[in-house]
Amino acid sequence: MAQQSGAAFTRRTFIGVAGGVAASTLLAACSRGGTTGGGGGGGGKSLKFWNMPWGGTTFAPTDKKIATGWKGADGVTSVTYQNVPWANFTQTFSSAVASNTGPAVSSGGGTQAFLFESQGKIAYADDAIASWESNGLKDDFLPGLLDTMKVDKGYAAVPYNLDMRVLWYNEQLFQQAGAEVPTDWQSYLNTCAVLKKAGYYGFGVAAGAGAYTGGHILVGLMINNGGGLFDENHEPNVVTPENTEAIEFVLEAVSKGYVDPGSVQYTSDNGQTQWKNKKFAMGWEGAGNAAAIGGDVGAAMKIVSPLKSDSGKQGMLYFPNNIMMYTNTPSQKASNDFLTFYYQNMKTLWTQKTGIGLPPLKSITETPEFQSDPNQVKIIKEYQPISHTWAAPGSDSLFLGVTTVDGTPIMDTFAQSIYGGKTDAKSALTTLQNGIKDSLAKLKS
Amino acid sequence: MSTSVATGIEQARKGVGVAGAGPRSGGPGAKRRGPSRGAATLVYFALPSLILLLLINLYPLLYAGMQSLRQGNLLALGPWIGFQNYVNVLTAGWFWDGALFTLIFTVVGVFGSWVIGLLFALLLRTKIPAGPAFKVLLLLPWVVPTVVSATAWNWLMATPQSPVQILIFAMTGHYVYFLADPTLAKITVCLFKVWISFPFMMMMMGSALASVDTNVYEAAKVDGASAWQTFRSITMPLISRSTFISWILMTIWCVNDFPTIFLLTGGGPANATSTLIVTAYRTVFQNFDTGSGTAIAFLMTAVLVVVSVVLYRQIRKVNIE
Repeated sequence: MAQQSGAAFTRRTFIGVAGGVAASTLLAACSRGGTTGGGGGGGGKSLKFWNMPWGGTTFAPTDKKIATGWKGADGVTSVTYQNVPWANFTQTFSSAVASNTGPAVSSGGGTQAFLFESQGKIAYADDAIASWESNGLKDDFLPGLLDTMKVDKGYAAVPYNLDMRVLWYNEQLFQQAGAEVPTDWQSYLNTCAVLKKAGYYGFGVAAGAGAYTGGHILVGLMINNGGGLFDENHEPNVVTPENTEAIEFVLEAVSKGYVDPGSVQYTSDNGQTQWKNKKFAMGWEGAGNAAAIGGDVGAAMKIVSPLKSDSGKQGMLYFPNNIMMYTNTPSQKASNDFLTFYYQNMKTLWTQKTGIGLPPLKSITETPEFQSDPNQVKIIKEYQPISHTWAAPGSDSLFLGVTTVDGTPIMDTFAQSIYGGKTDAKSALTTLQNGIKDSLAKLKS
Repeated sequence: MSTSVATGIEQARKGVGVAGAGPRSGGPGAKRRGPSRGAATLVYFALPSLILLLLINLYPLLYAGMQSLRQGNLLALGPWIGFQNYVNVLTAGWFWDGALFTLIFTVVGVFGSWVIGLLFALLLRTKIPAGPAFKVLLLLPWVVPTVVSATAWNWLMATPQSPVQILIFAMTGHYVYFLADPTLAKITVCLFKVWISFPFMMMMMGSALASVDTNVYEAAKVDGASAWQTFRSITMPLISRSTFISWILMTIWCVNDFPTIFLLTGGGPANATSTLIVTAYRTVFQNFDTGSGTAIAFLMTAVLVVVSVVLYRQIRKVNIE
């Protein structure tokens, strides 16, 4: 193409080009959850699927291969795959969904679906799930898992991978210290005392910036003791005898020096450093902890069976990460079909060990690849059945209100005040209760 | 100081020599330019960009203003509640805790970095060996991205295996948890801000010092002024314009500094280091309370405007004098 001379590029042309750019930008902002052509190939529309980087470096390519393997019909013939980074993902999704430029199907934050559902942006998965009765997919979900996604109007999302909180210990350090694996809260404190004498921490946890495990474990221990944050009406009920007892148990561990004083500000990386440097001999983390630590220490990591609380109960907090469908789609049938296809073919994410969380399907947990990791098997076998969501003890079905505690400043502050040890259980729980109430009131208005 | 020395210094500071002040620029003889056809053409050329800029900047500002008057979330504007968000924020204890720490962080950040920057600028004006190399090294904290610096500081201090912790343990037998203790975390965050900001002050003060006519110093020396008198009565007034400008800029940067705190402490422990900008971010993007979050942001903007106006008036005062 011939280069345009300066003389030919008139003021009128310039203004015209500028106007054209502005107009095309505005038009682009009004597109729907599907695109025509590009990316997916073929002549029909394509469906936008956004997924998060749930695993290591092999996750995204493997996942893309699965997703783009879908070939639809009725005008929506392919999938456009996008991997969304965790950094600022809330803003990414919110701005995209609010401007109707978001995906038709996506994963995301564990409670994201419930926020979007309250705004009428979610397409319920009831039809898709109903169709899974005939092909056996519905029965393949782990017990109670699908119900965690059920809201008043239907299924807001479908469980995708499980993020569990469990108690880990370093078998080598236990042998060196002569410590016994605990079975209940009292024996846990006894073991911590033995470990402390040997120079190790028994209540390893990271509760600093961006490491939400600290708050997760506190709520997990409340659930362990029969408590939790919300009642059956989804109202906050935090200052209860069960919760007070659980927090006093943690405060006892803090005061006796079983919790690393640095925990209050440890990031997840700092926590892993403490495991790697053999300062943490026992502690609370996610299911992927051993793999993240790696090396000799990673190989020595074992899972403690769920502890019995002082009230004789078992329980822990878990997060069923999920995939949701949006009302902004080129075709709801295509969204349903894609979702079915994806769940029928996603097994390789686990069999190829991409690093994604625990699988939601029994058939995947039964594969030889999954069974080769005894820790993961133990977590699914012992922790999953006794674990509950943020909605406990009132129910297990997640709802909009849980967004007030999932990774929020209220929960961060609560956790840091407890691990800092400069508060008492009732004051901290009361502050938490008031904070949740205020946030809920704003959400509901 | 003797009267003759003081008068001489005062004259020197105002740029009035023995022969008196020179002609003022822009006097009656100066040629004035009126609007021409060429200027109108330029305005036409700039118009599309200006419209786009207005759309890009004004629309979000107006939208944020609307959000602050409603009870909404990230997806919806929500119902109109007037100034209730402002009332709620201004009557909340956490807001004033955040405001107090913002003030501390800003005062320490501005004046700490200015004092150190000025000291280094003065030091670099003397003939020291490998001066240019020092300049480059001293600029590093400013040049290195905050995310790298914050990660490095975390690595240096966070865990008992961190180098600073090992050093302190070797000297005292105790670990000091700089980021876990609320008071120490506040001090650490402020020190970090001073550390990453002083090179900017050093550059500003260095260029201001370089612009001072050396004859002024010689005149003061002839008049018998001591080093302190010269610094206080000549150097400081002559660099005051640059000083006020650097204070304004640093005040704005400190108040609006999100990454420093968010990366180092996330506002913790237990909100101890949560400045207003961090609080606003967490309110909007973690609590999904856009009304209160934007109200905080607008209150911050109002305070910044007031501070900037006060400091600009100081600059004008300096110019008049």
